[in-house]
Amino acid sequence: MSTIGFGDLAQSHVMRRHTTQAKLDMARLSEELTLGKASDTPRHLSGDMGPLLAIDSGLARLDGFGAVTRELALFSDAMQTSLSTIASLALDAATGLISASGTAATTHVNTASSAAHSALKSTISTLNTRFGDRSLFAGMDTTSIAVADSETLLTAVETAISTAGATDVASVEAVLDSWFSTPGAYQGTGYLGAAGLAPVPISAGEEVALDITADDPAIRATLKGLVMASLVDRGLFTGQPSVQKDLAQRAGEVLMAGETDRAYLAARLGGMQSQIDRAQTRNESEAAALGIARTGMVEIDPYETATRLQDAETQLQLIYTLTARISRLSLADYL
Amino acid sequence: MTISGSLSSARSGLTAAAKTAEVVSSNIANATTPGYGRREVVTSARSVGHTGQGVKIVGVHRHIDPVVLADRRRAEATQNDREARAAFFQRLEAAVGTTDSAISIGGRIAAFDTALLEAASLPDSEARLARVTETARNLAEHISAASSAVQAARADADDRIEADVDQLNRTLSQIADLNSNIRSSYAGTRDPSALIDQRQQLIDSIASIVPLREIARDNGQIALYTTGGAMLVDGHAGSFGFDPSGVIMPEMSQAAGSLSGLTLNGRPISTSGTDSPLSGGSLAAHFTVRDTLAPEAQTALDALARDLVERFADPAVDATLAPGQAGLFTDSGGNFNTANELGLSQRLKLNAAIDPRQGGALWRLRDGIGAATPGLAGNSANLVALQSALTNARVPASGPFMTGARSFSALQGDMLSAMVSSRLTTETEASYAAARTDALTQLELADGVDTDQEMQSLLLVEQAYTANAKVIQTISDMIDTLLSM
Repeated sequence: MSTIGFGDLAQSHVMRRHTTQAKLDMARLSEELTLGKASDTPRHLSGDMGPLLAIDSGLARLDGFGAVTRELALFSDAMQTSLSTIASLALDAATGLISASGTAATTHVNTASSAAHSALKSTISTLNTRFGDRSLFAGMDTTSIAVADSETLLTAVETAISTAGATDVASVEAVLDSWFSTPGAYQGTGYLGAAGLAPVPISAGEEVALDITADDPAIRATLKGLVMASLVDRGLFTGQPSVQKDLAQRAGEVLMAGETDRAYLAARLGGMQSQIDRAQTRNESEAAALGIARTGMVEIDPYETATRLQDAETQLQLIYTLTARISRLSLADYL
Repeated sequence: MTISGSLSSARSGLTAAAKTAEVVSSNIANATTPGYGRREVVTSARSVGHTGQGVKIVGVHRHIDPVVLADRRRAEATQNDREARAAFFQRLEAAVGTTDSAISIGGRIAAFDTALLEAASLPDSEARLARVTETARNLAEHISAASSAVQAARADADDRIEADVDQLNRTLSQIADLNSNIRSSYAGTRDPSALIDQRQQLIDSIASIVPLREIARDNGQIALYTTGGAMLVDGHAGSFGFDPSGVIMPEMSQAAGSLSGLTLNGRPISTSGTDSPLSGGSLAAHFTVRDTLAPEAQTALDALARDLVERFADPAVDATLAPGQAGLFTDSGGNFNTANELGLSQRLKLNAAIDPRQGGALWRLRDGIGAATPGLAGNSANLVALQSALTNARVPASGPFMTGARSFSALQGDMLSAMVSSRLTTETEASYAAARTDALTQLELADGVDTDQEMQSLLLVEQAYTANAKVIQTISDMIDTLLSM
């Protein structure tokens, strides 16, 4: 006898399966709704992880560029401040020296050269500014100071002058010119740093080198003028007021003439600053764009998910109701 | 028809009703027993001479649909096969990590890249250089951990093969024993249904290990073969032999003889591929994981590790390196030899020269691995070169990658994408197989005990019993009438 029946276990098997499925759906949907992204991102992306990885590594790199440009902006700002300090020191000294040499009184020359001497000290200490623990004008040798102190500098120059036996303004200037341009003289006893900083990447395919050092011609010329005037203050040509006056005047002229070069140097640094600034802005906007693209890739539609969560909940309630109903339906209860 | 004939018919009716009630009660009692085949009493009209003489109990029929049963078993085998593979890919993906989390190879590469950029901006900062070392070490350790996870998955597969083989051997000999019990039940007059239930339960318990084909033999006996044709039980039970390994290293393989294959009754049988008689089932899946899938993942990881090592071992990147000398990353501390690529990912280590934990110095990151003394503190050239070495497009020297140059991060992405799509494919297959098993299980269960139906039979039995008893009473009255005349 073949009978048609529907086994008890089949009923409960179906119910159990539906209950499990509905519960799994609810767990997944509520996780997605809470986190705002797909619970299985690789599945959400159909297994192609390439674009997401590219975005993630791009974002990480932009983060790195962000730190780099922030620091470089700080360093270049500090350098710009130093350069403008030096420029104003040099200009003041130059004005003082030229106007003093135009008067008859020797005391004016003495005052101006003494002012130039202290301007030299200030310039050197400005060049030796450390930002954080980093020497700004010493090139790659960031742990060292950039320029030796004025005493060392002046003593070395005085030795050179006496060795050369210079007795007039022109020969003193010639000695200074050669001292400031000879390796082993200024670049040895005066400038204690190294070659300029190497280029550093600031955005994709773009790099900048903050390679301005105290060995730059504009700074050397400024130091030369200040040293020349300081020599008067230290007693070179004592007893020869007219030579001293000429020397002070020449020093003033050298400093004046260096004005253009100093402005160019500041402009070059300004160019770097604006390059860093532009890179910073570009990186930030790129990061924002990548962030939006990333969200678009991994996020889920919260409205749709919430609706589906509601569906799953209703379904589960329905399954519970049915389970209760069906389990009450048994012929045994009616016999 | 004689009166005594009627009495006999009525009595046979009572017996049949009682037997049916017994079977119904047994069915109801076993309503939730797995593997229980619903029983039905088969009756026919009894005839003596040419006249009907009551009812005859032909026997108890055990109701089972062999087609559905066989299909369900095979579906279960397929499901287990796919699930074992999917579990491996899930494990692999978790070990490599997707970029969702910073704890992934991709995340480690990004952190290393960022650390190099930041160090290039401040090469004199010890903290920045330490960060480079730390992120590089994390990257090397993560790749190494992923490779260890692959080998651990092989070791686990090896353990599971042993467990599967044990269970198969034990169950097969029990099935053979039951077979002979069932034969003797047939020879006698006992009902072998309960023994057949037990045997079905046993066969079900190994159905997920190997795909089975059940062939009926005489006297209720069966023979079991795998669908691929390996004999499991036919008269006597087959016996599998397997030798577990414990620890598994990347260079160990079945082909090299350092990992055990499988024997059936002492003869080796193929364990993987479509020609294996075991294919489709958890046993074959574990062999596939151990001998094919995990080694493939290992090859990909090794190729990735090799690309990483070679990117930094280039004298064009770090001028202080001699050709062939290890850069930032080393093979267990030494130089990498192309002949030793297998297992490189597991041995990947940070160069001791730049690692303060191994007695190295951070400034070598800035001044070169081979530098004897610290150079200028602000020199960023080498760090910039290291960063470009990581991000420059380079053609990988080995591995299952498509040809073409790409950055290290993109190479890792390609490896991950391949792993992820294997996982998704296998998961989809597994869920199809699970749905099929479910549907077939439901079909099988629908054919099981339905208590409502049994209660209905019980009502009929009750009526039949009463009617037969009434007949006996009436006959008794008739005999009484005769006797009292």
